Amino acid sequence: MTGRADPAETLAYVDDCLDPQARSEFEARLKADPELRREVARWESQNRAIRAAFGAPPRGAVDLGGASNENAARRAGETARPADGEARPLSQARKRRAAARAIAKPRRAGPGPAARRLAGAVALAAAIVWVGLPSLGPRPPSALLAAGASAARALADLPVEFAAADPAALAHRLGSRLALAPLLAPGLRLVGARLAPGSQATATLYLYENSRGERVALMVEPLDEVGAAAPRRGEADGLSVAAWTGAGYGFVAAARGDADVAALVAAAGADNDTLADAGAQRR
Amino acid sequence: MREWSDDAGALRRFGLALVRDDRFVFDDVAAGALIEKLFRQASLTLVDCSGGDRRAARVRAFAQFVRLYRRHARRLAIDEDGGWLESPPSCRGGGSAAVGVRSLPLELREALLLVVLAGFTHREAAAALDLPLAVVVDRLVRARTRLAAHMAAARDTAAAWPQSAHLRIVK
Repeated sequence: MTGRADPAETLAYVDDCLDPQARSEFEARLKADPELRREVARWESQNRAIRAAFGAPPRGAVDLGGASNENAARRAGETARPADGEARPLSQARKRRAAARAIAKPRRAGPGPAARRLAGAVALAAAIVWVGLPSLGPRPPSALLAAGASAARALADLPVEFAAADPAALAHRLGSRLALAPLLAPGLRLVGARLAPGSQATATLYLYENSRGERVALMVEPLDEVGAAAPRRGEADGLSVAAWTGAGYGFVAAARGDADVAALVAAAGADNDTLADAGAQRR
Repeated sequence: MREWSDDAGALRRFGLALVRDDRFVFDDVAAGALIEKLFRQASLTLVDCSGGDRRAARVRAFAQFVRLYRRHARRLAIDEDGGWLESPPSCRGGGSAAVGVRSLPLELREALLLVVLAGFTHREAAAALDLPLAVVVDRLVRARTRLAAHMAAARDTAAAWPQSAHLRIVK
């Protein structure tokens, strides 16, 4: 400790606990005091080391569906506003950008802004035609889809480990993290379940049979800190696969025919609220 | 639901860091089993308050977890005939932050992890631990100082090792 700064205040600064005014006052002192800067840097580096050691995302990192850091979010909200507390109007922001451009060094001659916009629009249209419209919203991780497809390919045709005479008893036997009532889809008969390796943790592989006697698999993996994402379709070794997330779980449906996968996806969509409630109560 | 999932994940991560102390719990499998047991009880606070103040519910859930773990550690320490707040008697080697945090006594570890890992403010950590703010700040200062000393000592040992150690020549 330096003796010049109150340790409590230094820690409050490092841990984002100061109000905006106290923070700016502390930062003014920080600029003038290299020893204090070193101390702050040391504590911040220790914070980063602790968070990294236990798998937490760094503070101020882009949220990729991970844990929210509310201190950072609150601070980001504060810094996005000027000191008087009013949000800066858009027109003012544009004026500031125009002024910045005026003092920038002159650009080389080239296509004008209208031509550049037109070229951009043409390129975007070509890209959309080439690859199709991008899906909006969050997408389930591709690792989940790959793990589900792999589990279905390897395990779907093996005998089940847990018979499904009573779905509630089946859910109970799978333990607290996996105790989710199995989805019931029209045209599919629940045979039972197996445990399977998921993308990150142990998952349940529910196995169904369709009217032709073909096995259909649904992998359910409990995932920490996962947001809801719409189904993502794929194919792997002749299997049609769809993966989606929600209610703290990742789901992967895999079958030989698209119709069986669609039936499971539809059943999950119809039971979204049930899933959410079951996830909340059982975890 | 997304918020609940975030909070539950943060609580589980905090729990793993707190209970894996190399004194009562030595590996991640044992830590995971204990976490599941304590997490089920503590996370009910999060579920119950889905419509209310999320921040307050989060503090209550972490506070509940800390209380449950203290009770568990106290019970184990009575069986072992030792103090439950003490530092672990011997820590595995290594200068990582994880090893350093595990070497801290429980009262320092829980304050540090609530602030650094769970992202609570000092005031919220004080509320979760049911302690005055000044005591929490004092614990944070002590925890950070001890952790810095631990990591520096480990670095020094690692730096000194090549000079002090040598291979014995056997003919």
